[in-house]
Amino acid sequence: MAIRRADFPLPDLDEPLTAPFFAAAARRELRIPRCDRCAAFVWYPQPACPRCGDVPGWVTVSGRGALFSWAVVRRAFLPAFEAMVPFVSGLVAIDEDPSVRVVSYVVDAEPGSLYAGMPVVADFRPLAFPTVPGREVVVPVFRPLDAPTGAGGGPR
Amino acid sequence: MDDWGHAPDLEDVAGEVAIVGIGETAYTKASGRTAREIGAEAAERAIADAGLEPRDIDGLTWSGAFADFDAAAFHEHFGTSHDLWTSPWGGGMAWAGTAPHLAALAIREGRARHVLNVFPVAWATQRASMTGGPGEVHAAQAAKQNLEVPFGWFPQPVYFATIMRRHMIEFGTTPEQFGAVAVAARRHANLNPDAVMHGRPMTIDDYLASPVLADPLRLLDSCLISDGGAAYVTTGIDRARDLPRPPAVVAGVGEGYSGTGTNWAQQRAFTSTPQVFSAPRAFSMAGIAPADVDVLTVYDPFTVVSLMQIEDMGFCPKGEAGAFVEGATLHHDGGVLPFNTHGGLLSHAYVLGIAHVVECVKQIRGTAAAQVPGCEVAVYGGYTGHMASTLVLVKDR
Repeated sequence: MAIRRADFPLPDLDEPLTAPFFAAAARRELRIPRCDRCAAFVWYPQPACPRCGDVPGWVTVSGRGALFSWAVVRRAFLPAFEAMVPFVSGLVAIDEDPSVRVVSYVVDAEPGSLYAGMPVVADFRPLAFPTVPGREVVVPVFRPLDAPTGAGGGPR
Repeated sequence: MDDWGHAPDLEDVAGEVAIVGIGETAYTKASGRTAREIGAEAAERAIADAGLEPRDIDGLTWSGAFADFDAAAFHEHFGTSHDLWTSPWGGGMAWAGTAPHLAALAIREGRARHVLNVFPVAWATQRASMTGGPGEVHAAQAAKQNLEVPFGWFPQPVYFATIMRRHMIEFGTTPEQFGAVAVAARRHANLNPDAVMHGRPMTIDDYLASPVLADPLRLLDSCLISDGGAAYVTTGIDRARDLPRPPAVVAGVGEGYSGTGTNWAQQRAFTSTPQVFSAPRAFSMAGIAPADVDVLTVYDPFTVVSLMQIEDMGFCPKGEAGAFVEGATLHHDGGVLPFNTHGGLLSHAYVLGIAHVVECVKQIRGTAAAQVPGCEVAVYGGYTGHMASTLVLVKDR
């Protein structure tokens, strides 16, 4: 059961279920799978729409959403996170369908300034861990909608 | 709002069977023992407590998810070879609450007469060698491995910190209210010499001063990691009355499922558990109301999970558990709702619910360390993220 993949906990870009999410992020787009027939998002991604069985396509969304909840992680639960703590990991309900919650880092905001429902927008930053030298993956993160774009650094 | 999960229809087995034997190993930090060894010891003690011999056991429910103590392990340990009716849908977690239902059906259908349910765990030992633990199962799932773990939303303390914060946002729950759950559990553990945290008193100030792992979740909101195991024997009610121990009669069983499984991030009712679906079914089968419950044990990996289940099982309105648990509410001696009277996963041992059911049996027998006077109805609330279970045990009349 142990994860043997050498680049863990970076995302596995070869995982077909989630590869389009990261391919889109590399183009600075937030994409979410949606069933064309049901016009409903299928999140988390599944091979088939749970309602009708169709294969969902991926659609680009605005990247805007509302902060639903979050944790300020102070203890590194994996060695990869030791240099990163403290950081904010949160759930963002996307504007197109608030039942779709995207998990990511909340950046460019003091933890104490966060509040439920806070408008946020996706930004795209390279994610790298010291435990996985030489590798980085561009991922969506969220920053306050009214905050200026950060200096373009990592999730911190 | 209540369509985010469901409850399967379970056959009514009220009063048909009873738990007649319980067995426990020592509950410890890393012991160096395997789960299989621990399971065998618990089984041996439960069978002896029931006044039975290993060859009398003709049914075995165990955890297919953990696969530590199956029929082969049973026969190897006891040197037996007789036919065993078995089901891998027993063991601990939510299944510690539903195994008696499996046993009741097997007994009704004549497949078995005495059914043993066993659950051992050696996560403290395994964690020391980095070969197992609660996070691993989750990290292996594709969606979680790629859409949660890389974003620091892992493992369980981070999930439940996020759920805690949402409970605070929606209902105004305070740190002191979460702390009341932890302090009550520790108070009970200090009355129970078997508890891992026996002899380690804790005050609300200790709770508030404990390290924050993932704000708002503190170390003392969190369960232990332990080695240990327990087992119990279920048999038909008539047979139960011939055996030496007072029967703990199975009066009601319920099961509930979340439509989003263990993907907590996507569960629509984010601050609820599938007890919403499970508890009403079990209470209805037993013909009781929440107010009839003398002692409640719930699967308590984090304090917020206790608060949510207390609400979802109907002991107080949704969102009000914070205020409900303040003061002496949860105490075994005079509280409105004596709760996790052995100390729970927080302060007794992290053996994933099996000791909670054993504690309910002890309360019905009148032999618990922190005994609730005159206890006649004891309820276990099981929780496994995607699933909840409810087991109602009553004194034989």
